[in-house]
Amino acid sequence: MSEARLVFDCFGGTVAVHVRGAAGRDDDEVAREARATLLDAHARLSRFEAGSELSRLNRDPREAVPASPLLRRLAAAVGTAGELSGGLVDATMLTEIEAAGYVASLAPGLGAPPQRVVAPFSSPACKRRQSAWHSISVDEEAGTVVRPPGVKIDGGGIAKGMLADLVAESLEGCEAFAVDCCGDLRLGGGSSRPRRIRVEDPFGGEPVHELSLATGAVATSGTTRRAWLGPDGRPAHQILDPRSGRPAFTGIVQATAVAPSGLLAEVNAKAALLSGPEGAADWLPFGGVLVHDGGEVEVVGAQRTAPQPAATP
Amino acid sequence: MDPIERHEKKRDAWRRLLAQRQRAGMLRGRVIAISLLCFGLLWAVVFVQMATGNDPVLSAKSGANATATATAKRTERHRARAAEAEAAAEPVEPEVEAAPEPEFEPTPEPEIEPEPLSTGQS
Repeated sequence: MSEARLVFDCFGGTVAVHVRGAAGRDDDEVAREARATLLDAHARLSRFEAGSELSRLNRDPREAVPASPLLRRLAAAVGTAGELSGGLVDATMLTEIEAAGYVASLAPGLGAPPQRVVAPFSSPACKRRQSAWHSISVDEEAGTVVRPPGVKIDGGGIAKGMLADLVAESLEGCEAFAVDCCGDLRLGGGSSRPRRIRVEDPFGGEPVHELSLATGAVATSGTTRRAWLGPDGRPAHQILDPRSGRPAFTGIVQATAVAPSGLLAEVNAKAALLSGPEGAADWLPFGGVLVHDGGEVEVVGAQRTAPQPAATP
Repeated sequence: MDPIERHEKKRDAWRRLLAQRQRAGMLRGRVIAISLLCFGLLWAVVFVQMATGNDPVLSAKSGANATATATAKRTERHRARAAEAEAAAEPVEPEVEAAPEPEFEPTPEPEIEPEPLSTGQS
């Protein structure tokens, strides 16, 4: 029995939904519903759309802003990401990322071509002294997101990982499913047959490694795809050092993390990249792949058992 | 031609005629015997083939094998039940005729390997 597969443009990249053995329902119909969910989420959470719910929240002068359950979930995920990463993954740096030049949707491959960026120096990133993600909270009873006016949320990879989890929750009854949010993957279903996952080369070559996973999530974060040249002519990318607010050059150009949930995989991948070669492996407890700026590939933690799905943190 | 010579020629003619009839009879007998033998052989081949369940009319060869296998399995199960019944001290109720089992067991669909995915910078 083949699986239903839908591929479509979303989140400034390519998204795919694979469904097989939907309980009592047509696989194609279930896949179409998942696509509708993701497209709706993109419309609500894109920071590049002035009319999106996220953009309206970022502009809102009130402290407590009424928000849909989806936006509240994203706001909660921003806090979770900050806590899990000790402040390394900070999704409140919208002003800084725009100052670095990332003001419009930049699909991978449309910016500067992937290249080995020789950074003048490389050092691990650090958390901000005054982190704004601490100040974000969600009032579920009132249905609001609470934060000091001026604190802006940038969903970015956090939103993709969270949305992969969201769609996965609706597909749990299927025999097998996979949600691919521009490279943030969430897999699951009743079948225990593992699926091969190729880790792309950050410099556009052949895949650097192949993972095998039946359930769980895989996310990749890197500095070579959504990259551009800054106003000073220096290479810039979307992964910021929270302390400096500028693109981070840590010695790792790509980190892939395996984790039970999409959000955790995304957080771990970003934290591993920002930690640099010395501490990156510590952020990959479920395994992963690191690519150093010299092109060396480091496989962390051989996957002997697939991680068990857990509740989204 | 004197009478003795004429008599001799008649006898020769009769002998030739008898020999000719004997040869014809022998040939006819051989043809009949060979035909019967061929028919018997062919009939035996078809009988054995049908008796073993390999009916060539059935297109699905595996189906025929499945039938034979199912029959063999039923026989084994029947023997096992009989042995259990003998071993049990209590009297066994008369066996109710089981519902007819499907002749062809459903073949499980081969599981296709899931399509590989790629993870890259999101």
